[in-house]
Amino acid sequence: MMKNHLLRGVGAALLATPLLFAGQPVLAAGSHSGGHGHGEAIGGPGEAAQADRTVEIAMHDNYYEPERLSVAGGETVRFLVRNEGSLVHEFNIGTATMHAAHQEEMMMMVEHGVLEADRINHERMKMDMGGGRTMEHDDPNSVLLEPGESAEIVWRFPQSADLEFACNVPGHYEAGMVGSLEVGQ
Amino acid sequence: MTARAEETTMRRSPSGGRRGVAAATLAAALAALALPDITTAGTYDLTIDKVTVERGGSKQTVLGYNGSSPGPTLRFREGEEVTINVTNRLSVPSSIHWHGLILPTGMDGVPGLSYEGIAPGGTFTYRFPIVQSGTYWFHSHSGQQEQDGAYGSIVIEPAGREPFRYDRDYVVLLSDDHDHDGASILANLKQMPDYYNRQQRTLGDFFADVSAEGLSATLADRTDWGEMRMMPTDIADVQDYRYLINGLEPEQNWTGLFEPGERVRLRFINASAMTYFDLRIPGLEMTVVQADGNNVQPVTVDELRIAVSETYDVIVRPTEAQAYTIFAETMARDGYARGTLAPSPGMSAEVPALREPPLLTMADMGMAHGDMGHGDMGHGDMATGDMDSGAMDTGAMSGGESTMAAEPAEAEAMDHAAMGHGTMEAEASREGSMDHAAMGHGSMDHSDMAAGDSFYAPGSGLTPRAADGGRFLSYADLKAQKPLYAERPAGREIEIRLTGNMERYIWSINGIKYEDAEPIVLQYGERVRFKFVNETMMTHPMHLHGMWSILDTGSGKWDPIKHVVSVAPGTTVYTETEVDAPGRWAFHCHLLYHMASGMFREVRVEGAPQQAAAEAGR
Repeated sequence: MMKNHLLRGVGAALLATPLLFAGQPVLAAGSHSGGHGHGEAIGGPGEAAQADRTVEIAMHDNYYEPERLSVAGGETVRFLVRNEGSLVHEFNIGTATMHAAHQEEMMMMVEHGVLEADRINHERMKMDMGGGRTMEHDDPNSVLLEPGESAEIVWRFPQSADLEFACNVPGHYEAGMVGSLEVGQ
Repeated sequence: MTARAEETTMRRSPSGGRRGVAAATLAAALAALALPDITTAGTYDLTIDKVTVERGGSKQTVLGYNGSSPGPTLRFREGEEVTINVTNRLSVPSSIHWHGLILPTGMDGVPGLSYEGIAPGGTFTYRFPIVQSGTYWFHSHSGQQEQDGAYGSIVIEPAGREPFRYDRDYVVLLSDDHDHDGASILANLKQMPDYYNRQQRTLGDFFADVSAEGLSATLADRTDWGEMRMMPTDIADVQDYRYLINGLEPEQNWTGLFEPGERVRLRFINASAMTYFDLRIPGLEMTVVQADGNNVQPVTVDELRIAVSETYDVIVRPTEAQAYTIFAETMARDGYARGTLAPSPGMSAEVPALREPPLLTMADMGMAHGDMGHGDMGHGDMATGDMDSGAMDTGAMSGGESTMAAEPAEAEAMDHAAMGHGTMEAEASREGSMDHAAMGHGSMDHSDMAAGDSFYAPGSGLTPRAADGGRFLSYADLKAQKPLYAERPAGREIEIRLTGNMERYIWSINGIKYEDAEPIVLQYGERVRFKFVNETMMTHPMHLHGMWSILDTGSGKWDPIKHVVSVAPGTTVYTETEVDAPGRWAFHCHLLYHMASGMFREVRVEGAPQQAAAEAGR
């Protein structure tokens, strides 16, 4: 299992604390197969001062505005993300495979009451899942926002990649809350 | 052989639109200008016809609209003022009810309550505003014409953007078609209630049970069933149906096309007279985005049960260039409707085998559940004692042990302490404050939890389980995307006991059939709470016309609104209604022969302000 990946805390917690998930082993197994080890493939966090431009993203119920983005290879973009809906939404930059893996983690968050329809239970997020792991959602490629909240992500894109920006709150991606993110040409 | 249904669609005619705008008063035109979407008006013409179709290899005469059965798909737009001219070309009276539409009482199409119906050769003109969006349907509300093919679909485009997107859009209308016409079926049921039950237990079953369970247990079991005047195989009153998708039999294979990677919206409508279906598309997950026309927070499942007259909209995303079977197996497992999603016509995928028919248990008889009614659980008023005397204490179910033994999973599933659920404190469980929201039923998608669907009696033989061990949609999963009504306490509770005498084929509410009952009187502006107690062993899809039923799933402000609420045997289900529509409304079980046999009430809404009353009267 790759250790150097996003959402390590959640992923490892699933494997480390089976007793909390009695009768639900299926989510732990395989949820990360191929989901990580992307390293440079998706790029990495950038410095705001280095950003070439700012892109505003509005999150509605359950779609983005805009619904597609193009960035130049190697470009650093500052995203201003605002949740204008009435439900919790995520803005997450990754590959389709990473999103699929993250959706299983988000399902866990719902099942543990960390994620409610319109609020995030930050207390519960800090719950020790064993070995100091928590369900905190603090990865640089993603923001998870309650209605009315805003956040910023500065992202340095690689020269080329097959990326999507997506909301992995259960059901939202499948309903179409995902946008294409063209890198390069 | 593959066939694609000729989909007939009615859209508003341009001339109708012009006429509507021209007729608008200056004030109305100004009001329209203030709206982001200019108000439209459409005129539609429907005829009620006898139609010849090919079924079971021979020609049959059924009922339909504009020459087809199912009738055309009516496509409206939210905010539109529709005018629908309906001409009855039958030799008997008829009617059209717009199922699930919120409209003035005089436009609801129920003979005897809304109007007098449409005489042979006559035309009735419906005029009403479209105040909602989503998937609905229409059908005759006269006699048993619905059984004979008098139904069609309604698709209402929303005024704004939907909270989901898709590339293709198909209506998938399910129905049950019989060689006998509806009137004959009702007559046969009245004469012999098990006339159509092909799954009766035999003398062979009796000896098999004796060897498995012992003579006294078997005799006790048979005595209990005899006293209920029911049989464990009473899942469906009527069998020998052909099950159709968009009017086509399984071999005719209705097909919807897609390009791999596209999102396909399927609008499932159960237009059956009597048949519940368990729906799945092997190889595809279904993301449910609407229930009964109302947006729900998207929830992805492997299988769902659609009650008679419900609708569910799902989005599927086939990524492979292969065919997928839409498999709608009846709840009684006596047959299936089948269609296909494929990248090109003529393709097909494997059709799954029917699963074993369910057997009703003592839980479905109402003998094993005590006070475990769902609504009780949702309100934290369930005392520990009730739990102990109910499903938690198997010792109390002496009569039920033989059937319970076949369902060992249920006992485990109801052991809340063993759920290991992070948010459910063991302490709270002991004190009986069972908050469904905190239990997170909506998200427990694991097969061993499926047995815990709180909308079925613990131990019920009808509790759905996904064929592939995946997630089966529960009512508890349905959460309003955007609640229509603010939360507030109901002013009073009205008990609706669902009752019947199977031996005489009489179905009733609170023991009284429609003809002998007084209307249920509601006051305009109040919020009432209905307590449905199913005292029969059949599952009843209860349909309130004219106003929404807010289904209490324990989700508080996210409780979904529906037009039909299915009440399983041995359960208690609560709904609330904001009484916002004056007039006379039908309230009934949507199983056609239950409705016809007396499980029906008039709901009369009184005390409306003059304006509202005037609108209702038009």
